[in-house]
Amino acid sequence: MKIVVCLKQVPETNQVKLDPVTHNLIRQGLAGRINPFDRHAVQAALDLKAQVGGEVIVLSMGPNDNEYCLREGLAMGADRAILLSARAFAGSDTLATGYTLSQAIRKIGAVDLAFFGRQAVDADTGQVGPIVAEFLGWPQLTLASQLTWTDQGLQGVRRLGALAQTLAVPLPAVVTATRELNDPGYLQPRQIKAGFQQPILTWNEVDLEADPARLGVAGSPTVVRKILAPQTKTVPTQYLNPDPQAAVAELLTALQAKNLL
Amino acid sequence: MTKIPEVWIFAEHQQNQIEPTVLQLISKAQAIAPTFKVVAVLLEAPDQQLEQTLAAYGPDQILAVKQSQLEQVADVEQAMILQQLVQARQPNSFLFGATALGRSLAPRLQAKLQTGLTADCLDLYFEDELLVQVKPSYGDNIMCEITCPERRPQMATVRPNTFAAVPVEADQVCQEIEVLTDLTWPKVAHFDILNEQVIPTPPASLAQADRIVALGRGAADPASVATARQLTAALNAQLGVTRPLTDDPQFAVSNQIGQSGQTVAPELLFCCGISGAVQFLTGITQAQTVVAINSDAQAAIFGVADYGFVGDAKAFMTALNHALLAKNA
Amino acid sequence: MVELTAAQLMLHQMVQEFSANEVRPHDMAIDRERSFGSDLYRKLVDTGFLGLMLPEQYGGAGFDAVATAQTIYDLAVGNASVAVTLEGHYKTLDQLLKYGQPSLLDRYLPSATQRIFAFSMTEPSGGSDHSTLGSTAVRQGDHWVLNGNKIMITNGGLAEVYCVLVKTAPTEFSVFLVDQDMPGFKFGKQENFLGLTGTPIGEIFMENVVVPADHLLGKVGQGHEIGDNAHADARVLMGAVAAGIIEHELELAVDYAHQRKSGGQRLTDLQAIQRKIADIALAKETTALLYEEAARHKAKGQPYAEIAAMAKTHGSRQAVRAGDDTLQIYAGYGYSLDYPIEHLIRDARALEIAEGTVEKMRAEITQLEVAQRI
Ligand SMILES: Cc1cc2nc3c(=O)[nH]c(=O)nc-3n(C[C@H](O)[C@H](O)[C@H](O)COP(=O)(O)OP(=O)(O)OC[C@H]3O[C@@H](n4cnc5c(N)ncnc54)[C@H](O)[C@@H]3O)c2cc1C
Ligand SMILES: Cc1cc2nc3c(=O)[nH]c(=O)nc-3n(C[C@H](O)[C@H](O)[C@H](O)COP(=O)(O)OP(=O)(O)OC[C@H]3O[C@@H](n4cnc5c(N)ncnc54)[C@H](O)[C@@H]3O)c2cc1C
Ligand SMILES: Cc1cc2nc3c(=O)[nH]c(=O)nc-3n(C[C@H](O)[C@H](O)[C@H](O)COP(=O)(O)OP(=O)(O)OC[C@H]3O[C@@H](n4cnc5c(N)ncnc54)[C@H](O)[C@@H]3O)c2cc1C
Repeated sequence: MKIVVCLKQVPETNQVKLDPVTHNLIRQGLAGRINPFDRHAVQAALDLKAQVGGEVIVLSMGPNDNEYCLREGLAMGADRAILLSARAFAGSDTLATGYTLSQAIRKIGAVDLAFFGRQAVDADTGQVGPIVAEFLGWPQLTLASQLTWTDQGLQGVRRLGALAQTLAVPLPAVVTATRELNDPGYLQPRQIKAGFQQPILTWNEVDLEADPARLGVAGSPTVVRKILAPQTKTVPTQYLNPDPQAAVAELLTALQAKNLL
Repeated sequence: MTKIPEVWIFAEHQQNQIEPTVLQLISKAQAIAPTFKVVAVLLEAPDQQLEQTLAAYGPDQILAVKQSQLEQVADVEQAMILQQLVQARQPNSFLFGATALGRSLAPRLQAKLQTGLTADCLDLYFEDELLVQVKPSYGDNIMCEITCPERRPQMATVRPNTFAAVPVEADQVCQEIEVLTDLTWPKVAHFDILNEQVIPTPPASLAQADRIVALGRGAADPASVATARQLTAALNAQLGVTRPLTDDPQFAVSNQIGQSGQTVAPELLFCCGISGAVQFLTGITQAQTVVAINSDAQAAIFGVADYGFVGDAKAFMTALNHALLAKNA
Repeated sequence: MVELTAAQLMLHQMVQEFSANEVRPHDMAIDRERSFGSDLYRKLVDTGFLGLMLPEQYGGAGFDAVATAQTIYDLAVGNASVAVTLEGHYKTLDQLLKYGQPSLLDRYLPSATQRIFAFSMTEPSGGSDHSTLGSTAVRQGDHWVLNGNKIMITNGGLAEVYCVLVKTAPTEFSVFLVDQDMPGFKFGKQENFLGLTGTPIGEIFMENVVVPADHLLGKVGQGHEIGDNAHADARVLMGAVAAGIIEHELELAVDYAHQRKSGGQRLTDLQAIQRKIADIALAKETTALLYEEAARHKAKGQPYAEIAAMAKTHGSRQAVRAGDDTLQIYAGYGYSLDYPIEHLIRDARALEIAEGTVEKMRAEITQLEVAQRI
């Protein structure tokens, strides 16, 4: 089975600050790391490979230092790594990212499964997996919390609130991984070293035979207009009526308006 | 005359219940777009009547697709149906709850329509016909404003329980219900649902609980504890205590909140008869809404409370139990 | 922080996560139960910590001195006992790699990814002064026969392989490798130490333990040099342990001083408290600079014994002092056994003794300064 796992590199911590003057994100000095959910995606791919054989390819779009998250994928045990890096990809929103990744998956060819994390912990959208599925015309199993390979093919469980759905998914397909899916454990120091000894293939927009109008800023319908610091709520205590019954009535109205009851 | 812009809301439902976020979105859309047409879009099976629930929240129109294929349907198929509707009617914007289904379906539709989608919004407002979408990033450490200036519809998923759902007066209940019964869509590869099971969420541990009633020495007598236990049952909440109460054999350290106990992060926390010592307070910094009940108006606990009741803890809990009983009856 | 290569950074991120998730949550329990438990030990082994600095040819990861010291630091931020167990293992492997004969290394080192090795010099008669050692090795054909009693061995009881410093003649010292499986090898009692209680520290006896000739490290009579080298290697890592403890203290101090109020002010607004917090932060930074510099020298093949001694001399005292300041910021709560500060001070105190007392290190630093200048 040929399995692609898409990896996003995210800042090491979410404790980002805003420059008080420019309102730009202060991101220097932050080391990157693999998006935590993507580790579960890699682990799921490796588990499947262990069962049915095949190849696990890790794929990331971003600047050259995204090589780092690919090395982590290799250290976990992926067979090879492809970096999509080009000026033309800069400024992609989820639609352009999804298009670019889907072109790469086409180019890899004969892919049976593409794994994604349920969402990236920085921008937090979770949109890229379903978008890639749509562009490839594949079915999607989002938020997979269990995955099994049976005689009938791939089956998985996803939770929609209190409802657990067991789904049979025909291949090729897209799967997005949750934390519940598996426990990737810790990287072995020896595997880390080995991951840095493997070659990484780099593709640009020409390699992908991509439509330039669908890449990067040009291909991104959304605009991040402004970045703000969240308001820290220092709401003063609202004192309730001294009579218990009246106080309770007041409180219930207030809590209902906040959807807390 | 130019067409009145439409704001669509996807009326997600499960187990024959409308997802509460949908109702919240209807109310919000009415508030931010009073001159637009607010349309709830419902995909349901012929024997379902979910438009009744929606109507009570007063959307201008309910667009219901009622077909037998919708008894069990994959995300991909729902996306195809919505695509047809959007392409035929060209709404200005299309809102989804940022639920598991909404976050799976909306991007699929977005890709079909080649438009923008903003995830997990905490606020929305219009500047003329431009939808400004406010969403958190970096684990809620920053907020950003996102727009989709060129393409339509403007799509967003919105975090559940961000806005209040307000039922409308009887005379404003939605009358315009359009039912479609004959849509067709091509057969594409999609998953098959083998099994669906409602899994009762296991009682959360204190650390994971969404609601907690916490007791201190001011509410430690047996009668107060019994009242508190009724209250936790009525609220589906967990019971927590301050350290002094763990001397009582009915409470263990696993019930204790604070520095040497559990760190909790409930949406709603009642602190009954608790003074608010720093060792207790460090365990509740992540609580979202705090209600403090203490007979001493100077107690430190009021410093972190959203709502305060100065008075007897047992009397307050008793009144609250009665009110909840009345409400649920 | 030192510049790390990308691979070292990935290791560092992994260890930080391991330390935060698997070690720190058990910090106080490790101290109280006087053991870090078989589960955590298994995880350390399974994750590959034992082979971290062992060359790839023996099944290790082959990380250098900089990455190794960083790892010890990251673990010590979680719990010092866990870090010291690895310190004892790594310093022993360093001596084998430097002085061991190839046939011995081929037999023993592949197992060092799965079992702990220890280095033992100290005897009841003395630790600082080796002239009084009673342990001996006597040559018999192509074997050596060892006798003696060693105490206060880091990982004694847990370790399966020991390098021991013994007399091969009245004033001649040599180091041999012995294995717990050898006839005549016995474990003694565990020390009842004040701090680092999670690290096994124990005693061994050798009664006519017969070892093949290639169990001799280096040459006959090279024992002192090997012992000094082991100290230098250990002290780089002990500096890292000290810095890790201070980081833990700093974290606790800032956290509490920010939350606690007095007279309507946060403690962080009080000058007397600011002085303590600034001193703790300074202690952390100076200690880190020293051990990192020592590790860098070692990785580059430059002399590092003196700066390693400085890292441990400075860091051990600073860790005790910073713990004392932290305790004072917490005041009554700091003095409580329910808070971790008291055990950090007890842990830190060991660093002024283990791997050479601070007095001994000051004497060595002085000698080296004199030798360089006069
Ligand atoms: C503050 C901020 C807010 C943003 N908000 C939006 C928004 O609301 N709407 C929008 O369209 N764009 C948004 N973007 C742009 C968006 O972050 C990028 O398009 C990004 O490349 C992909 O989206 P994501 O991070 O949300 O990924 P997600 O969709 O959350 O990621 C899911 C999975 O997709 C895969 N994946 C994601 N990115 C890559 C990649 N570069 N290479 C390989 N695999 C990948 C990974 O497996 C990942 O786990 C925002 C960006 C910022 C900085
Ligand atoms: C090392 C250490 C660790 C600690 N760790 C924790 C910890 O993890 N968690 C913890 O909770 N504590 C901890 N403590 C204890 C902490 O310092 C406080 O002593 C404790 O939180 C106080 O509990 P309390 O609020 O229930 O009691 P009190 O401080 O005695 O407060 C009782 C409150 O009840 C009010 N009251 C009295 N009668 C009524 C009534 N009829 N109706 C309404 N209000 C009434 C009073 O006005 C008062 O404010 C720790 C202490 C130490 C030394
Ligand atoms: C946690 C811990 C782990 C240890 N692990 C090991 C281990 O793995 N292997 C091992 O072999 N040993 C180990 N030891 C033992 C340690 O190395 C000795 O305790 C140390 O060398 C001091 O020896 P001693 O206790 O016999 O004190 P002594 O040598 O008797 O010293 C007594 C006092 O005299 C001072 N003194 C002695 N000689 C001099 C001198 N020449 N100049 C100045 N002052 C001097 C000392 O500084 C000290 O204050 C460990 C000890 C501890 C606490």
